[in-house]
Amino acid sequence: MAGTDNPDEKTLISRMKSGEQQSYHEAVRAYTPGMLAVARFYLDRSSAEDIVQDCWVTVIDAIQTFEGRSGLKTWLHRIVANRCKNRLRSAKREVPLDFSDSMDPDLDNRFNASGRWEIPPKLRFDESADTLMENCALSDCLDKHLSALPETQRSALMLYEAHQHKSDDVCNILDVSASNLRVLIHRARQKIFLMVETFQETGEC
Amino acid sequence: MLMCRDLAMIASDYIDGELGTAGKLSVKMHLMMCGNCRSFIGNLRASTELLKAHTSGTVDEEFVRHVDERVAAALDAKERGDDQT
Ligand SMILES: [Zn+2]
Repeated sequence: MAGTDNPDEKTLISRMKSGEQQSYHEAVRAYTPGMLAVARFYLDRSSAEDIVQDCWVTVIDAIQTFEGRSGLKTWLHRIVANRCKNRLRSAKREVPLDFSDSMDPDLDNRFNASGRWEIPPKLRFDESADTLMENCALSDCLDKHLSALPETQRSALMLYEAHQHKSDDVCNILDVSASNLRVLIHRARQKIFLMVETFQETGEC
Repeated sequence: MLMCRDLAMIASDYIDGELGTAGKLSVKMHLMMCGNCRSFIGNLRASTELLKAHTSGTVDEEFVRHVDERVAAALDAKERGDDQT
């Protein structure tokens, strides 16, 4: 849908088709983190890393058939997702998904029975993201909380926020419905909100 | 009428512009009257920005280098006309 209308991407693709080493170097650097995020939605860390490596090796040949109907990133992410799904199918394992409720229980507890705030947000995070990120302790804390998120929430969040996929693409790649994706994203953001609030209030993670 | 809890439930949809006209309007009306929810939306938005800034810098250098080497080896093998194993 997004197609390959980016001239740099077009050039990169034709360089990859001609088998130029440097082009793969650039592509691996640019796209591996996103591919890993996709694989981690389905698989544990070491299986996910295996799949991503295998995918890159097949891409060397498969790129010849890439027609640019989708963007390169979306194409790569689909390859990874398909491989993961095949792997799961052969292992007869279902992808565990857990998104029954769009509210984080810890946030939900802060409302009274009439639906008003019982414990309102404590203060405004008025510093910009860049300023906040300069705080190493906060950054570490964020890492810790991100890795504690259920894998499904984290991957959906990574694809959507960090790799800037459109919702449609994420749904396609991860095989989740649009409403489930919204729940995954919202749940993860609430966790981050609660974490930053605690951190700002107490200075502790 | 939209309560604070209802608003918290759809806050990400509001931030991402995924609400319809009616939904957007009722959130805006609520926000005009409710400072707590203004803080909440502001903070949730800031958290989202923070996360974006944080995750876009996160790369597992070691793994990327590993993949890079494996791809380079596969390309070499292909160039030499070997069958890749
Ligand atoms: Zn309110």
